[in-house]
Amino acid sequence: MVKILIPTALRQYVDQRDAVEVEARTVGEALETLSRRYTELRRHLYNEEGKLRSFVNIYLNDEDIRYLQREATPLNDGDTLTIVPSIAGGGHGDQHHQCAC
Amino acid sequence: MMRIEPAAWQAMVRHAEQSYPNECCGALLGVVENGVQRVSLARPLRNVYAGDQRDRYEVDPTELLAVDREARAQGLQLIGIYHSHPDADAYFSKTDLENSCPWFSFVVLAVKKGRVEAAGCFVPEADQRSAIRQELVLPEDSRFCTSKP
Ligand SMILES: [Zn+2]
Repeated sequence: MVKILIPTALRQYVDQRDAVEVEARTVGEALETLSRRYTELRRHLYNEEGKLRSFVNIYLNDEDIRYLQREATPLNDGDTLTIVPSIAGGGHGDQHHQCAC
Repeated sequence: MMRIEPAAWQAMVRHAEQSYPNECCGALLGVVENGVQRVSLARPLRNVYAGDQRDRYEVDPTELLAVDREARAQGLQLIGIYHSHPDADAYFSKTDLENSCPWFSFVVLAVKKGRVEAAGCFVPEADQRSAIRQELVLPEDSRFCTSKP
Protein backbone atom coordinates (compact mmCIF):
# COMPACT_ATOMS: atom_id res chain seq x y z
CA MET A 1 0.00 0.00 0.00
CA VAL A 2 1.11 3.56 -0.67
CA LYS A 3 -0.30 6.64 0.98
CA ILE A 4 -1.32 9.69 -1.05
CA LEU A 5 -1.52 12.91 0.98
CA ILE A 6 -4.37 15.12 -0.22
CA PRO A 7 -4.11 18.94 -0.16
CA THR A 8 -6.78 20.72 1.90
CA ALA A 9 -8.65 22.12 -1.08
CA LEU A 10 -9.04 18.69 -2.70
CA ARG A 11 -10.33 16.88 0.39
CA GLN A 12 -13.89 17.74 -0.56
CA TYR A 13 -13.54 15.30 -3.48
CA VAL A 14 -12.21 12.43 -1.37
CA ASP A 15 -14.84 12.27 1.40
CA GLN A 16 -12.91 14.86 3.46
CA ARG A 17 -9.94 12.51 3.92
CA ASP A 18 -6.47 14.02 4.33
CA ALA A 19 -4.83 10.88 2.93
CA VAL A 20 -5.90 7.95 0.75
CA GLU A 21 -4.20 4.56 0.59
CA VAL A 22 -3.99 2.70 -2.70
CA GLU A 23 -2.38 -0.45 -4.05
CA ALA A 24 -0.08 0.47 -6.94
CA ARG A 25 3.26 -0.40 -8.55
CA THR A 26 4.03 2.97 -10.09
CA VAL A 27 3.27 6.64 -9.37
CA GLY A 28 1.06 6.82 -12.47
CA GLU A 29 -0.91 3.79 -11.39
CA ALA A 30 -1.41 5.22 -7.89
CA LEU A 31 -2.77 8.51 -9.25
CA GLU A 32 -4.91 6.68 -11.80
CA THR A 33 -6.38 4.47 -9.06
CA LEU A 34 -7.02 7.52 -6.90
CA SER A 35 -8.82 9.45 -9.63
CA ARG A 36 -10.82 6.38 -10.67
CA ARG A 37 -12.00 5.95 -7.08
CA TYR A 38 -12.80 9.66 -6.72
CA THR A 39 -13.91 10.73 -10.19
CA GLU A 40 -14.53 14.38 -9.23
CA LEU A 41 -10.85 14.68 -8.38
CA ARG A 42 -9.68 13.81 -11.90
CA ARG A 43 -10.18 17.21 -13.53
CA HIS A 44 -8.20 18.84 -10.73
CA LEU A 45 -5.17 16.63 -11.38
CA TYR A 46 -5.31 15.99 -15.13
CA ASN A 47 -5.90 18.23 -18.14
CA GLU A 48 -8.11 17.34 -21.14
CA GLU A 49 -5.27 15.40 -22.77
CA GLY A 50 -5.05 13.19 -19.72
CA LYS A 51 -1.70 14.66 -18.63
CA LEU A 52 -1.02 15.90 -15.13
CA ARG A 53 -1.90 19.62 -15.02
CA SER A 54 1.08 21.93 -15.37
CA PHE A 55 0.94 23.21 -11.79
CA VAL A 56 0.71 19.75 -10.22
CA ASN A 57 3.93 18.44 -8.69
CA ILE A 58 4.08 14.97 -7.21
CA TYR A 59 6.59 14.11 -4.54
CA LEU A 60 7.54 10.53 -3.76
CA ASN A 61 8.62 10.80 -0.15
CA ASP A 62 11.06 13.76 -0.47
CA GLU A 63 11.74 13.61 -4.23
CA ASP A 64 9.97 15.39 -7.05
CA ILE A 65 9.00 12.60 -9.51
CA ARG A 66 10.26 14.82 -12.36
CA TYR A 67 13.76 13.98 -11.18
CA LEU A 68 12.94 10.28 -10.88
CA GLN A 69 11.10 8.42 -13.62
CA ARG A 70 8.04 10.66 -13.55
CA GLU A 71 4.81 8.64 -13.62
CA ALA A 72 6.73 5.44 -14.35
CA THR A 73 8.57 5.75 -11.03
CA PRO A 74 8.20 2.45 -9.18
CA LEU A 75 6.65 2.40 -5.71
CA ASN A 76 7.47 0.36 -2.64
CA ASP A 77 5.13 -0.65 0.12
CA GLY A 78 4.90 2.17 2.67
CA ASP A 79 5.85 4.98 0.27
CA THR A 80 4.13 8.35 0.59
CA LEU A 81 3.06 10.49 -2.36
CA THR A 82 2.29 14.18 -1.81
CA ILE A 83 0.48 16.45 -4.26
CA VAL A 84 2.10 19.91 -4.17
CA PRO A 85 1.15 22.73 -6.55
CA SER A 86 3.49 25.18 -8.28
CA ILE A 87 2.67 28.75 -7.36
CA ALA A 88 3.98 32.00 -8.80
CA GLY A 89 2.73 35.40 -9.87
CA GLY A 90 3.56 38.94 -10.74
CA GLY A 91 3.34 41.51 -13.46
CA HIS A 92 2.03 44.20 -11.13
CA GLY A 93 4.26 46.93 -12.46
CA ASP A 94 1.77 47.23 -15.26
CA GLN A 95 -1.06 48.93 -13.39
CA HIS A 96 -3.37 49.21 -16.39
CA HIS A 97 -3.67 45.44 -16.38
CA GLN A 98 -7.14 44.77 -15.20
CA CYS A 99 -7.91 42.77 -12.09
CA ALA A 100 -8.51 39.18 -13.11
CA CYS A 101 -11.67 38.98 -11.01
CA MET B 1 -14.80 34.07 4.09
CA MET B 2 -11.24 34.21 5.41
CA ARG B 3 -10.50 35.50 8.89
CA ILE B 4 -6.86 36.20 9.78
CA GLU B 5 -5.86 36.16 13.45
CA PRO B 6 -3.68 38.98 14.86
CA ALA B 7 -0.36 37.08 15.15
CA ALA B 8 -0.62 35.74 11.60
CA TRP B 9 -1.58 39.16 10.25
CA GLN B 10 1.34 40.86 11.99
CA ALA B 11 3.75 38.26 10.58
CA MET B 12 2.46 38.84 7.04
CA VAL B 13 2.71 42.62 7.32
CA ARG B 14 6.22 42.45 8.76
CA HIS B 15 7.33 40.06 6.00
CA ALA B 16 5.82 42.23 3.24
CA GLU B 17 7.39 45.42 4.60
CA GLN B 18 10.80 43.86 5.21
CA SER B 19 10.86 42.42 1.68
CA TYR B 20 10.00 45.77 0.07
CA PRO B 21 10.80 46.77 -2.69
CA ASN B 22 10.71 43.08 -3.60
CA GLU B 23 7.69 40.84 -3.53
CA CYS B 24 7.38 38.37 -0.69
CA CYS B 25 5.34 35.18 -0.47
CA GLY B 26 4.22 32.83 2.25
CA ALA B 27 1.77 30.16 3.33
CA LEU B 28 -1.42 30.59 5.37
CA LEU B 29 -2.21 27.82 7.83
CA GLY B 30 -5.29 27.35 9.93
CA VAL B 31 -8.60 25.56 10.11
CA VAL B 32 -11.80 25.65 8.09
CA GLU B 33 -14.98 25.69 10.16
CA ASN B 34 -18.48 26.05 8.72
CA GLY B 35 -17.05 27.45 5.53
CA VAL B 36 -14.94 30.06 7.35
CA GLN B 37 -11.18 29.85 6.86
CA ARG B 38 -9.50 30.86 10.11
CA VAL B 39 -5.80 31.57 9.57
CA SER B 40 -3.76 31.24 12.75
CA LEU B 41 -0.26 30.99 11.28
CA ALA B 42 1.46 32.83 8.43
CA ARG B 43 4.65 31.07 7.40
CA PRO B 44 7.06 33.14 5.25
CA LEU B 45 8.42 31.31 2.20
CA ARG B 46 11.41 32.24 0.07
CA ASN B 47 10.73 34.07 -3.17
CA VAL B 48 12.71 31.89 -5.60
CA TYR B 49 11.89 33.81 -8.78
CA ALA B 50 15.19 33.97 -10.67
CA GLY B 51 14.74 37.43 -12.22
CA ASP B 52 13.65 40.83 -10.91
CA GLN B 53 11.62 40.18 -7.76
CA ARG B 54 10.12 43.66 -7.61
CA ASP B 55 7.12 42.45 -9.52
CA ARG B 56 7.42 38.65 -9.53
CA TYR B 57 7.36 35.86 -7.02
CA GLU B 58 7.68 32.11 -7.15
CA VAL B 59 7.22 29.56 -4.38
CA ASP B 60 9.65 26.65 -4.06
CA PRO B 61 7.41 23.55 -4.12
CA THR B 62 9.84 21.67 -1.88
CA GLU B 63 9.41 24.35 0.76
CA LEU B 64 5.65 24.17 0.33
CA LEU B 65 5.87 20.40 0.85
CA ALA B 66 7.68 21.01 4.16
CA VAL B 67 5.03 23.53 5.24
CA ASP B 68 2.26 21.09 4.32
CA ARG B 69 3.90 18.51 6.58
CA GLU B 70 4.27 21.05 9.35
CA ALA B 71 0.58 21.93 9.05
CA ARG B 72 -0.47 18.28 9.21
CA ALA B 73 1.72 17.69 12.26
CA GLN B 74 0.02 20.59 14.04
CA GLY B 75 -3.50 19.61 13.01
CA LEU B 76 -3.70 22.63 10.72
CA GLN B 77 -4.49 22.94 7.03
CA LEU B 78 -2.64 24.73 4.29
CA ILE B 79 -5.41 27.15 3.35
CA GLY B 80 -3.80 29.79 1.21
CA ILE B 81 -0.84 31.71 -0.08
CA TYR B 82 -0.05 35.37 0.44
CA HIS B 83 2.19 37.62 -1.60
CA SER B 84 2.89 41.33 -1.76
CA HIS B 85 2.55 43.95 -4.48
CA PRO B 86 5.24 46.59 -3.96
CA ASP B 87 3.88 49.99 -5.01
CA ALA B 88 0.85 48.41 -6.62
CA ASP B 89 -2.72 47.74 -5.52
CA ALA B 90 -4.15 44.68 -3.82
CA TYR B 91 -5.60 43.13 -6.96
CA PHE B 92 -5.16 39.76 -8.65
CA SER B 93 -3.16 40.24 -11.84
CA LYS B 94 -3.32 38.20 -15.03
CA THR B 95 0.13 36.79 -14.24
CA ASP B 96 -1.07 35.89 -10.75
CA LEU B 97 -4.03 34.07 -12.24
CA GLU B 98 -2.07 32.15 -14.87
CA ASN B 99 0.55 30.99 -12.39
CA SER B 100 -1.64 30.33 -9.40
CA CYS B 101 -3.31 27.11 -8.50
CA PRO B 102 -7.08 26.98 -8.15
CA TRP B 103 -6.84 25.00 -4.90
CA PHE B 104 -6.02 27.88 -2.60
CA SER B 105 -7.17 31.29 -1.49
CA PHE B 106 -4.66 34.02 -2.37
CA VAL B 107 -4.15 37.06 -0.17
CA VAL B 108 -2.49 40.04 -1.84
CA LEU B 109 -0.92 42.81 0.24
CA ALA B 110 -0.40 46.22 -1.34
CA VAL B 111 2.83 47.78 -0.03
CA LYS B 112 3.16 51.49 -0.84
CA LYS B 113 6.48 53.17 -0.08
CA GLY B 114 7.36 50.33 2.26
CA ARG B 115 4.07 50.22 4.22
CA VAL B 116 1.25 47.72 3.84
CA GLU B 117 -1.81 49.73 2.87
CA ALA B 118 -4.43 47.33 1.62
CA ALA B 119 -5.23 43.65 1.27
CA GLY B 120 -7.51 41.53 -0.84
CA CYS B 121 -8.34 37.84 -1.04
CA PHE B 122 -8.95 35.95 -4.29
CA VAL B 123 -9.87 32.42 -5.33
CA PRO B 124 -8.96 31.41 -8.90
CA GLU B 125 -11.63 29.51 -10.85
CA ALA B 126 -10.71 25.97 -11.89
CA ASP B 127 -9.99 27.03 -15.50
CA GLN B 128 -7.66 29.85 -14.28
CA ARG B 129 -9.41 32.33 -16.57
CA SER B 130 -10.90 34.40 -13.77
CA ALA B 131 -10.83 34.75 -10.01
CA ILE B 132 -13.49 35.43 -7.40
CA ARG B 133 -12.97 38.02 -4.70
CA GLN B 134 -13.40 36.46 -1.28
CA GLU B 135 -14.40 38.32 1.88
CA LEU B 136 -11.35 38.96 4.07
CA VAL B 137 -11.66 39.80 7.76
CA LEU B 138 -8.56 41.28 9.43
CA PRO B 139 -7.89 41.89 13.13
CA GLU B 140 -9.80 44.92 14.41
CA ASP B 141 -6.68 46.88 15.18
CA SER B 142 -5.17 46.53 11.71
CA ARG B 143 -4.62 50.01 10.37
CA PHE B 144 -6.80 49.81 7.30
CA CYS B 145 -9.86 48.03 6.01
CA THR B 146 -9.99 45.55 3.17
CA SER B 147 -12.01 46.28 0.11
CA LYS B 148 -15.32 44.50 0.52
CA PRO B 149 -16.49 42.12 -2.21
ZN1 LIG C 1 0.25 39.38 -7.48
